[in-house]
Amino acid sequence: MIYPLSVDVSAAVATTVHETVTTVLGPVPAHELGVTAVHEALLSVVPGAQFAPDIAIDRAEIFEVLAAKLRDFREHGGRTIVDSTGMFHGRDVNLYEALSRATGVHIIASTGMGPEEMLGGYFLTPQTNPPTPWPAEKFAELFRKEITEGMVVPRVERRGPAGLVTTTADPNGMTPTEESLFRGAARAALDTGVPLSIRYGADALHDLGIVLDEGLPAGRVLVGGLDRADADGAALEVAKRGAFVGLDHVGLNDHPNYINDAQRTSLVMELVNAGHSHRIILSSNAIGVAKGLPEYHLPFSHVLSTFVPFLKQQGLSDEDAHRILVDNTRELLTHS
Amino acid sequence: MSKVNTVLGTIPAEELGLVAIHEHIGYGMPGSELDTTWWKTPEERYAETVPKLRAFHEYGGGTFVDATGICNGRDVDYYKSLSAKTGVHIVACTGFVGGDTALPHFARASVDYLAKVFIHEISVGIGTTGSRAGVIKVGVSRGGRMTDLDKRIYRAAARAAIQTGAPVLTHLAIDAENAIAIFQEEGLPLDRVLFGHVDDGVNAENTRDTWIAEQGGRVGFDTFGYETELEDPPFWARPRQERLDHFLRFLNAGHLDKALAGADANCSPLGWAGVKGHTVNYIFEDLIPDLRKAGLEEDAIRTIFVDNPATFLTLSA
Repeated sequence: MIYPLSVDVSAAVATTVHETVTTVLGPVPAHELGVTAVHEALLSVVPGAQFAPDIAIDRAEIFEVLAAKLRDFREHGGRTIVDSTGMFHGRDVNLYEALSRATGVHIIASTGMGPEEMLGGYFLTPQTNPPTPWPAEKFAELFRKEITEGMVVPRVERRGPAGLVTTTADPNGMTPTEESLFRGAARAALDTGVPLSIRYGADALHDLGIVLDEGLPAGRVLVGGLDRADADGAALEVAKRGAFVGLDHVGLNDHPNYINDAQRTSLVMELVNAGHSHRIILSSNAIGVAKGLPEYHLPFSHVLSTFVPFLKQQGLSDEDAHRILVDNTRELLTHS
Repeated sequence: MSKVNTVLGTIPAEELGLVAIHEHIGYGMPGSELDTTWWKTPEERYAETVPKLRAFHEYGGGTFVDATGICNGRDVDYYKSLSAKTGVHIVACTGFVGGDTALPHFARASVDYLAKVFIHEISVGIGTTGSRAGVIKVGVSRGGRMTDLDKRIYRAAARAAIQTGAPVLTHLAIDAENAIAIFQEEGLPLDRVLFGHVDDGVNAENTRDTWIAEQGGRVGFDTFGYETELEDPPFWARPRQERLDHFLRFLNAGHLDKALAGADANCSPLGWAGVKGHTVNYIFEDLIPDLRKAGLEEDAIRTIFVDNPATFLTLSA
């Protein structure tokens, strides 16, 4: 059985050496990415919410809302956005292709899953006796195919390849299945050259250590959530190990679990002053359209239009601002 | 008026005919849709499914109850087309095969919310299909003990059953004490519940089928055909004669009025390989002949496959 691809995967693979990034419309030269938001959600659907009678999913309406947000992002200078929700949280590749064509914003979609709570029973209690959860290698294979053969439109077809692998651990601590997810995601990233984005559980350095243990170079990893209130110095340590530091809730100022933008500013300056400006990634984890979870209508342009100008007022150089918004994201997203 | 919800609309129970009470057009664990290993083209799915339903119809089968839960690949538009083209009545379910097949949106939900979902699907419709669910599926997660989520789903099902009159059908009857306690607390008469899979190979030893019947529950011997004699039997298989003897013992103990039977087969499995050689038509090709051979009267066979399902499936509210 052959599932036709909308995008020529072989072309993407062949041009990897020429510094490309995989978008939903195909490979794009890395230098074209421009200002990039790496940790965002376009359509975010809690698994199962698509079946709920009280939740309406109107594609035309979703498209209109997302297109307006992407156009706003573009008007503020944004060029590329990464939907980092993975393969099982509302990802809609067909919709993203149409959005990218309509708005001119490059869209990079992701494969991967997590945390364990968000997984389907197929992975947790399979029809085997005993029902042993999936091991790392099976997750690796599932994610790898989304990068080499194309992302799935469930039970219909594969579309273009994923440009990123993402996974997440439980804030109370990584579960054994999440360790399998992290190891599987790391192997998929290592084998295909796409970057890995992790949202850590209880211990950022431990979770980073798991994926590095698979042989993935630290420079291929983005550790998200380092602006959590409990991250406690982890950002500096992650940077020292050579991984990208995700301060990725910019604009979130009134949440007990996260530091606010003033504290984020101090953290950015601390990292810059320690010589880690080339490791910083700023993003906002905004949600374009939310189904089954609270809306979070922060504009995708917030980092660009509000936070970075504020950072500059606090002494961030133009050169470092450009490095953070353009160069770091490009380095992360470019196929290795 | 006796009414049953099928995917093509309400029908009188008198039209149900012979009922396969616990079957699947196609079942897959939630998330299996992401794994291309199991994908089939629509051509393949129809090609695997239509001949089985046609044969079911030609054997004299009237109604196929699909027990595929909300997140397990339930596909009501597809069922509608199958029903319309083959003449087999198809009853779709609301609910979940077990807590471990409820996706996070539902796994996190309250009893009240879950009950509202079930009631909506029974009285308004499933998604945009316009079809109403005719039965509420609940079940015990892997491990043989009801989890907190399983219990919430059972309680929500009880409330929805009371409000809508739809019956409840269970996946597994292990840990029935907990299930019955919930139904009794909610005030659902136990004859509105079919405790299914009492005959399955893994749990039969520890399933209190006669006790359930004595409490007033209906009892499903509905995994007929999953036999160790098959070429590649699944782990829940059981020797053919052992299952048949089990069923006959139950009937001989005076529980004919509580007995229902089925094959739990997939026409075209969605998220697993399925079991080669096992179809819904086991009912006609093997089970009914075996029951006749064992001396069961035609009236008793009619009770099991026609009368009991009709009473059970009739909306009682």
